[in-house]
Amino acid sequence: MVMRRSENDPAKRLGQVGIADRHLRPKVHVDPDRSRSWLRRVLPVLGAHRLSLSGALGMSFLTLMLQVQIPSLLNGAVSNSLERHSTPLDHYVWIVFGLALGAGLAGFGSRYLLMRTAYAVEFDLRNLLYEHLTRMGFDFYDRVQSGQLISRANSDIRSVNLYLTFGPNILVQCSIAIVAFIYMLTINVPLAFVAMSTLPFVFWLSIRMRASMFPVSWLIQARLAEVATVVDENVNGVRVVKSFTAEQRELDHLAREAAKLRWAYIRDADLRARFSPVVQNLPQLGMAFVLLIGGLLVIDDHLGVGAILAFSIYIVMLQAPFQMLGMLVMLGQRAAASAQRIYEILDEEPSVRDAPDAIDLPEVRGEVRFDHVNFHYGADADDHPDGTAASAAHSPLGAAVAGPPVLSDFNLHLAPGETVAMVGRTASGKSTVSRLLTRFYDVTGGAITIDGHDLRTLTLQSVRRHVGVVLDEPFLFSVSIAANIAYGAPDASREAIVAAARAAGADEFISALPDGYDTVVGERGYTLSGGQRQRVAIARTLLVNPPVLILDDATSAVDVQVEQAIHEGLKVLMAGRTTLIVAHRLSTIHLADRVVLLDGGRIVAEGTHAELMESTPLYGEVLAQVAENEPSGAPA
Amino acid sequence: MSFGGGPMFVGSAASPGNGLPFAGVPSEMQAGVDALLAEEPDHGPPNAVFSHAAADRAGERLTLRALIFAHWRLGVAALFVIVVVSVFNQAGPWLIQYGIDHGMLPHHHSVRVVILTGAAFIVAVLITAIAQRSQARVTGRLAARVMNDLRVRVFAHLQRLSLDFYTDEKAGVIMTRMTSDIENLQQLLQDGLAQLAVQALTMVVITAILFTLNVTLTLLTLALVVPLLTISSLWFRSASAAGYIRVRDGIAAVLGDLSESLHGVRTVAAYDRFERNIVHHRNVLGAYRDANNYTAKISALYGPGTAMLGYLSQGALLVIGGHMVLTHRLSIGALVAFFLYLNRFFAPIQLLVQQYNTFQQGQSSIVKLRGLFRTAPSTPEVPDAPVLPPVRGEIAFDHVDFSYTPDGAKVLHDVTLTIAPGESVAFVGRTGAGKSTMAKLITRFYDPTAGAVRIDGHDLREVSIASLRRQLGVVPQEPFLFAGSLRDNIAFARPEASDAEVWAAVEAVGLGEVLERMPDGLDTVVHERGQSLSSGERQLIALARAFHAQPRVLVLDEATSNLDLLSEARIEAALDVLLEARTAVLIAHRLSTAMKADRIVVIDDGRVAEAGSHEELVARGGRYAEMYATWASHLEVPA
Repeated sequence: MVMRRSENDPAKRLGQVGIADRHLRPKVHVDPDRSRSWLRRVLPVLGAHRLSLSGALGMSFLTLMLQVQIPSLLNGAVSNSLERHSTPLDHYVWIVFGLALGAGLAGFGSRYLLMRTAYAVEFDLRNLLYEHLTRMGFDFYDRVQSGQLISRANSDIRSVNLYLTFGPNILVQCSIAIVAFIYMLTINVPLAFVAMSTLPFVFWLSIRMRASMFPVSWLIQARLAEVATVVDENVNGVRVVKSFTAEQRELDHLAREAAKLRWAYIRDADLRARFSPVVQNLPQLGMAFVLLIGGLLVIDDHLGVGAILAFSIYIVMLQAPFQMLGMLVMLGQRAAASAQRIYEILDEEPSVRDAPDAIDLPEVRGEVRFDHVNFHYGADADDHPDGTAASAAHSPLGAAVAGPPVLSDFNLHLAPGETVAMVGRTASGKSTVSRLLTRFYDVTGGAITIDGHDLRTLTLQSVRRHVGVVLDEPFLFSVSIAANIAYGAPDASREAIVAAARAAGADEFISALPDGYDTVVGERGYTLSGGQRQRVAIARTLLVNPPVLILDDATSAVDVQVEQAIHEGLKVLMAGRTTLIVAHRLSTIHLADRVVLLDGGRIVAEGTHAELMESTPLYGEVLAQVAENEPSGAPA
Repeated sequence: MSFGGGPMFVGSAASPGNGLPFAGVPSEMQAGVDALLAEEPDHGPPNAVFSHAAADRAGERLTLRALIFAHWRLGVAALFVIVVVSVFNQAGPWLIQYGIDHGMLPHHHSVRVVILTGAAFIVAVLITAIAQRSQARVTGRLAARVMNDLRVRVFAHLQRLSLDFYTDEKAGVIMTRMTSDIENLQQLLQDGLAQLAVQALTMVVITAILFTLNVTLTLLTLALVVPLLTISSLWFRSASAAGYIRVRDGIAAVLGDLSESLHGVRTVAAYDRFERNIVHHRNVLGAYRDANNYTAKISALYGPGTAMLGYLSQGALLVIGGHMVLTHRLSIGALVAFFLYLNRFFAPIQLLVQQYNTFQQGQSSIVKLRGLFRTAPSTPEVPDAPVLPPVRGEIAFDHVDFSYTPDGAKVLHDVTLTIAPGESVAFVGRTGAGKSTMAKLITRFYDPTAGAVRIDGHDLREVSIASLRRQLGVVPQEPFLFAGSLRDNIAFARPEASDAEVWAAVEAVGLGEVLERMPDGLDTVVHERGQSLSSGERQLIALARAFHAQPRVLVLDEATSNLDLLSEARIEAALDVLLEARTAVLIAHRLSTAMKADRIVVIDDGRVAEAGSHEELVARGGRYAEMYATWASHLEVPA
């Protein structure tokens, strides 16, 4: 959907969408220039929070500056007050107390602000991605797995975010190493080098450690998922497993996966054992060198005893930043890869969108015309002259490949208020017709008009407000049944919801549920059968009351008796409304004024049921599949 | 000094609240994973043995101790290295103290002492590193083996449990037992228990060393540090646990909302809810951010707060210890050691408090798993149950009563019915009349509450479950496809079957045409439970699976509902082949399917209302005739 300017005004939005908008919409977007590095492209998002970020970093620096002085003061206290008795002890004590309080307060401020910033950036990125996904056309959703998208929206955003916000902080911490080093140099130059000698190895080894442990931790994740899949299949497929007495085989299956997981875990432990003790103990080794060499320096009177204490504390203080610096390198590599995966989505252009001068149709009579319509799924090769289609071939999101023609030179006219049934074999293009009329896809040739307006000249919003569709496999959201019925009209009263449910033949079973209309779909095992879902979906569309209605095999999973009841309700509602019925059952065909027969992407015959039976053998053939199963009233 | 405590992100690793863990390895890790896999040895054939009869008695008394005792050698080794680590890791500050007091102070200069203490420090560090390495290896193996045993045992037990256990409501619980409950223990065993032991021992060792240095100062230091740090750590634990739950629920809501928006994208588009959903999602994200900010506040209070506590206690130590040094009640070296040990006192307390969480989680997982092991199958196999010999296929319901729960309403009332060998019988009736229940009794997914179900005169409860089910074939209403190839799915009953046999099944049900359209034929891999196939194709695969098993008795539970016309026609044709020369029970949704049977049994309210051939029943003018009339009038074509 194209963003309208009014959207930045929260008050207006509240009126527009009917729910409270409690959080500010992100103000900036990722830099669209694909030639730039990933870090450059995300800078605008980070820049929107530059105040709090720089505040956090400043305070972090302050904290560390205060902390770094404490060991040096302890050195002074031990050497000057206790060893040589040259300065009163109290002098040092008060400064230490003051520094401690200051470091505590600044530490709180910096950590809190930094994490708030991190979460604000995450919030922005997630919102940007979500808004972008809502703008995508159906060709996008046809070729991209939703599991992929969810994983990108989850772990990839997190890994980018972690790097963006903690990277600067780790760098600040490491810069403090320089300050600490200077302090040590002022105490004693050779001992400063001795104390720092092991830290570069800590840095280097922690990079090596992460590099070798990341693959194994991914392997563990993947294998945990494998085990979970075996369990999941055995839980959901338990009837098959038990009826085919496959328990032993499934147990073997699990045992094999578990053994692989065990191996990965042991591998992980061994890698940890190889690196972790070394990384942990190298600074300790530095302390031992300080004792050895520092001790000799003390004996030669180059140094006070307090220096041993101060250097030992500095080593401990610097251990963590050096380990984190190693981590930062790995985080950076992961973040770069994650960012690429996120950009792949953000760089996708929506295929169906409002024209710049799109008009909003307030009301329609419902005259629908398909005018020489051609259509195939997948993008046109010449849609992307800049070669993005080619580059997309390498992307895991999958390339947009043009499919075979589904509709060719398809013509159909529906007068306002007319009901037309569309009959055809599987894959004859029936469902595609309904997807084009709702403008889920744009036609690749010809035009579809409502009241003479080409759909592409109208806003998507107005098309979808006027064209209601009941899909053959309806999707229900995990909210209450009432909210599902009111999905297209969230402000509908309970009376209106019940009335719609009644007309759709759904009131009876909904009322029988423990919580009635407030039963939450999917919760506590309240799953609805296919037929029940279809009835809820019909009620949902009836409530919106669109002037143009599409029933795409909407009652295929409903009992024959129930179907009859629904038809009674539908007949009333279809009166005065343009309706297109995609039908499989004779009983449904009877609802129509006129029947069209679809074959090979075009209409090959039309007329009343009786006329077609008379004139078109193909129609009889298609319906003969019904006849095979019907005991009486065979049409052929 | 690094007193810094508390993770930067509380619960940042929160995974999606529901569904399976994400299995994809990011592309930049693939090379590393491949290199790793190249080293993986063959793990050999699995040696888990399944039996319906043998219950896991040890599992019913499951404890953490028992799990570790099973690998007691590793346990003893772990204990030994833990003691070594705890002692040698604390040698440093004591050696520094000794070096200062006996080698560096004025009048005590000694190069020998400095060199010896320095060398001893280096040796102690080396010993610590080696012991820590062994510790990680030993506890890693211990955890991996215990977890492996547990996974196999829990799964074997799940396989023993009867169908009533696997209701929709429990599916999520079962998944949790096999995943997060076991993974909780993983963390505890690999690291948690060892950490608990190391930290507790460390505190003991440090306290002992400090006491030998100076009793008064030790008592003062402990009094200063321990209560404050313990209280603040306990506060942090409870506050962050609450925060963690908010964050976890928050991210679950975010991913749930995202997932619904993606899966329901057609509906969202059809009702033009994008604008509203964007705002809704932003609100969900906002709640998640608020939860995160709450945990940020807690950890920002705790981390820098404890660090401040550390610095303040250094100041206090300087005042008290300094004066003791000035009044010659303490050596300078001892004061230095106190400073260094003070630092090392913080980590154990903080870690102990954190690990206690892991420990509690592990314990509660153990309790839940124990509960699972104590759940007995509701259709148990009698001890030494005889094998059911090959049957002719006569099925008899003998005054059968049934209810799903012990005190629940009866679903079947005194049902008596005999199905002759080779006969096909259709059960018709309204939803909830008891048709499916009767099918479930035949396959012994449930046992009757009264009366008996017999096959060829054998009470089902008195023969071995495997030998019974091997002679039965079931096609459920919703066909279930496993991840794997189509061949794996079709040859599910006998995976070792030849290609020809599998193709025979494929052709028998008319699936050949469908398979020929697939580039990989039988090797086509089924993804996401076969969502890329139509429901008709999935159902045909389930029928082929049943055909391939060549059962003596076939049970079709509404196998033809929910199908489009073409698939229905195909399946009806397949049924003709399948029903040939077999006893068959069809739970019929459509009367057209029912009419294929030799005999139709009308079930009403848990009773057999009437039975007979289609013609007989229509002629009788009873309930069936009524159903048929409604149905026929509805389908009549006005020509």
